[in-house]
Amino acid sequence: MKVFINFFKGFQNTGRLMRMIILLLVVNLAFSLILAIPMYHSLKDSFGNSLVGERMAEGFDYLWWEEYRDDAQGLERTFTPSIIGKGAILNNLEGLIQLRVFDLPPIILIYGFLYIILHTFFAGGILSLFKKREAKFSLGSFFRGAGSYFFRFFLLMLISWVIFLMIDQVVKGSLDSILSGMRETAISEVTPFYWGLVFNAVVFFLFLFIQMVFDYGRIKIVEEDSPNVLTSAAGAFGFVGRHLGSTLGLFYLLFLVQVVFTLIYVLIQGLISQSSFLGIALAFLFQQIFIFGLIWIRCWLYSSQMELYRYLK
Amino acid sequence: MPKKILGLLLFSLLFLATFLSFSDEPFCKQVANYTMNVVLDTERKTITGEEFLTWTNETEHPTDELWFHLYWNAFKNNMSTFFSEQRQRGRGLTGFRLEDWGYCRVDSIRMIDKENFAEIDLSPTMAFQQPDNDNPHDQTVFFVKLPQPVEPGQTIELRIEFLSKVPRPISRTGVYKDNYFIAQWFPKIGVFENGEWNCHQYHSPGEFYADYGTYDVKITLPAAMIVGATGEHREKTDNGDGTTTHHFFQRSVHDFAWTASPHLLEFTEDFEFAPGKTTEITLLLQPYHKNLKDRYMNAVKNAIKYCSLFYGDYPYTTATCVDPAYNSRSGGMEYPTFFTGGAYFITRKGISSPERVTIHEFGHGYFFGLVGSNEFENAWMDEGFTSFLDTEVYYTAYGAPVYSKTYFGIPFTFRDVNIPIESDGISRHRQTSDRDDMQRFAWQFMEGSYGANSYAKGELMLRTLKRYLGENLFGNMIKSYSQRWWFKHPKPQDFYDIVSEFAAQDMSWFLDQFVYGSGKLDYAIGSISSIRPRQQTGWFNGEYRESRSNKENAKTYESDVLVRRLGEVKTPVEIMVVFEDGSEIREKWDGDYRWKKFRYSGPSRIVKAVVDPEFKLVIDVNRSNNSMVREPNKIAPYKWASQWLIWLQHAMEFFTLFGG
Repeated sequence: MKVFINFFKGFQNTGRLMRMIILLLVVNLAFSLILAIPMYHSLKDSFGNSLVGERMAEGFDYLWWEEYRDDAQGLERTFTPSIIGKGAILNNLEGLIQLRVFDLPPIILIYGFLYIILHTFFAGGILSLFKKREAKFSLGSFFRGAGSYFFRFFLLMLISWVIFLMIDQVVKGSLDSILSGMRETAISEVTPFYWGLVFNAVVFFLFLFIQMVFDYGRIKIVEEDSPNVLTSAAGAFGFVGRHLGSTLGLFYLLFLVQVVFTLIYVLIQGLISQSSFLGIALAFLFQQIFIFGLIWIRCWLYSSQMELYRYLK
Repeated sequence: MPKKILGLLLFSLLFLATFLSFSDEPFCKQVANYTMNVVLDTERKTITGEEFLTWTNETEHPTDELWFHLYWNAFKNNMSTFFSEQRQRGRGLTGFRLEDWGYCRVDSIRMIDKENFAEIDLSPTMAFQQPDNDNPHDQTVFFVKLPQPVEPGQTIELRIEFLSKVPRPISRTGVYKDNYFIAQWFPKIGVFENGEWNCHQYHSPGEFYADYGTYDVKITLPAAMIVGATGEHREKTDNGDGTTTHHFFQRSVHDFAWTASPHLLEFTEDFEFAPGKTTEITLLLQPYHKNLKDRYMNAVKNAIKYCSLFYGDYPYTTATCVDPAYNSRSGGMEYPTFFTGGAYFITRKGISSPERVTIHEFGHGYFFGLVGSNEFENAWMDEGFTSFLDTEVYYTAYGAPVYSKTYFGIPFTFRDVNIPIESDGISRHRQTSDRDDMQRFAWQFMEGSYGANSYAKGELMLRTLKRYLGENLFGNMIKSYSQRWWFKHPKPQDFYDIVSEFAAQDMSWFLDQFVYGSGKLDYAIGSISSIRPRQQTGWFNGEYRESRSNKENAKTYESDVLVRRLGEVKTPVEIMVVFEDGSEIREKWDGDYRWKKFRYSGPSRIVKAVVDPEFKLVIDVNRSNNSMVREPNKIAPYKWASQWLIWLQHAMEFFTLFGG
């Protein structure tokens, strides 16, 4: 019950800070546009004055894409048919769990890194607003909060990276090696496939679990204004350990919301024809609603977790 | 009396049925005939056997030597030519234990002297040879000296005792757990042609070459084993000692391979692929691929049906498709009447697996099986032709496949993205085929170029030729080539001859550029322009003219289309020019010089120009530059940049997991 109470409280709190979510969306969009503009020019140059443009306006010209792929450098390497619809989400999910992010072009990795740092900064602002349960968003209070917690959040992020790295090297490394041994001696691909799914799920669970614990670490810092990052991290582990059912329950409830929301997006986005500027504009708007929703859910998670933390304290 | 008549009638029918089903009439001269009795020892992983070989010298030259392949000696040590070439291709040998190596040992080789009821032991004259290099560690070829030459037309008989140690799975043969896939496993005579032996060592890139003959093989192995092999499964005898002997027989083939495993599921169907023409399909399926039974079976049926239509009726009474065991490394390989597919237990509608590989390997039954080209020396004549064949058959039977990608081992399809037939092979050709000429011995290609040339370029050349000659003419030509060379060994010139015959012109100008050249084909529209004609200004024949507005000129445009040849390959091309008023002009250019400009004067501006508008030149490495429009489409870059943007936005948002 306490999960649902705080789930709904979090929803209400987030709803009051719509302008903050818009700010986060704008930042996400601006950050992405910096790379999308060169991609636009690359595509425009490649389509050139040829009939490819017409074919790509109507559908997907696979023959053109093969030529483009064969010469692709940097960002261009990421342009594949699998970025369409569900592919975009699946690419990222697989990239995350199997840490294929490092296969991405360096420019995207650098931007990704900067974006994470920026978000670590914003996390202070988000949580400080939720702490005060302010009804109205103001840039001043947002950035004051962001600034006051940034250093501690940054250190917390570095600690979390050590744990993420350990999960990758120790847990994922061991599971990969078990799977590889299994593949060498298996009598069919079926058994390694299912074990592969289980192992991926384990890694994904651990990644999410660590994210959740460090969410509570950040909440602890904000709620208690704790100066000691290590104590906060350890305290977060202790808190989650003591309230495993509630914390996981809340986390997975919101994870489920995100999955359902994503599925709805995947189902609907394919229905929008983009063979006209109006279609492109509508699709773009829909895409931004989707990203807005994802940011909303992330803030909702923060808010619900903060409410749960207070409730259980 | 009626009983006697009925009995006689039944006997006659039975005899006729037996005669029809076991029709022993060969389709061609049986040059190399093997009668083998072999025993598989699953404990030691060995095959011991006796091979009776009758060989006829079908040439006009005598020979006092016989050359043989011992392919499995390629897996005898790490210094064999096969493994040396594997290393050069970056495919090192790892973790071979004592029991993993394979070899083929000839214990005795005797010539049967029928006249004197005696056997002449040729073993003392046995010597390993390395005709392709001086690698002393390679024992994949040996010869024996004969006491007297085999004269043209003469037949000799040999009795060979041999032992083959089954290697761990490698190069489409070997044993994985209790799954045996046995290919290139027995002492096999080379091909004697033009007064010399064609008997190459076993190479890492490249395949095989042999003469046609009859294979009459009895295999004894544990009774629990399900067995499939080249040819008709004539008999299965329970030996009462826990073993069974399987008898396989096939005339007019040039190889014999088999598989045995206790796990295989066996499905058999008679398939009438043309009116009155039937063959028996056997599908040997892994139990974990049972859900793919219908897809496999339909792929074999489509392969038989369309190959018969395009390349001549399938002449054999059996076709056996093996779904290879996991980790057996035997997938995607061809042997006469017997071939392996390859599948993943999850597939989707629109994904071309397991159909594509099944069709390809069955198709090899035509190009290498029936048309017995030399795979060592003219790889494009089997791989290029078969790649062409599998694409043609697949697209005819199933239409275009869709793009797919596998996430967490689960294939997902992208139904908005169809893969057109023209994409097949072009990427590989574009990237690496210019490292070599297409016509090279298989092991002499630069790294990365064997596949691009033998498979991709061969296929693209044929598809370009098909569109150049026209579908009907090409269809008749390729079918004639196929049937004319069934059970023979064509060389590149034989293909040239038949293409020229059907095209009614010498086509070597076309074929030479691809077969013996490494150049690329790339025609492009360099520019299009439509401008108002300049008005005359200045002195003209003593008369001064001033520029001024001219109503006639205002109605006219001077238009140019510049067509360029960017590649080395030259071929005639067509150009289509479309004007604003909808009018269209078709031009022809011999494509010889580096560029040509076409000029027009008329009331309309050019809207677009396309070189090769019918897309005949499938081998063109850059198809995007084949067209030019006056007004580029503005929607497309926004549409796709926006699609990419959402992927990136989602990625950015997703990866905040690692931060705040």
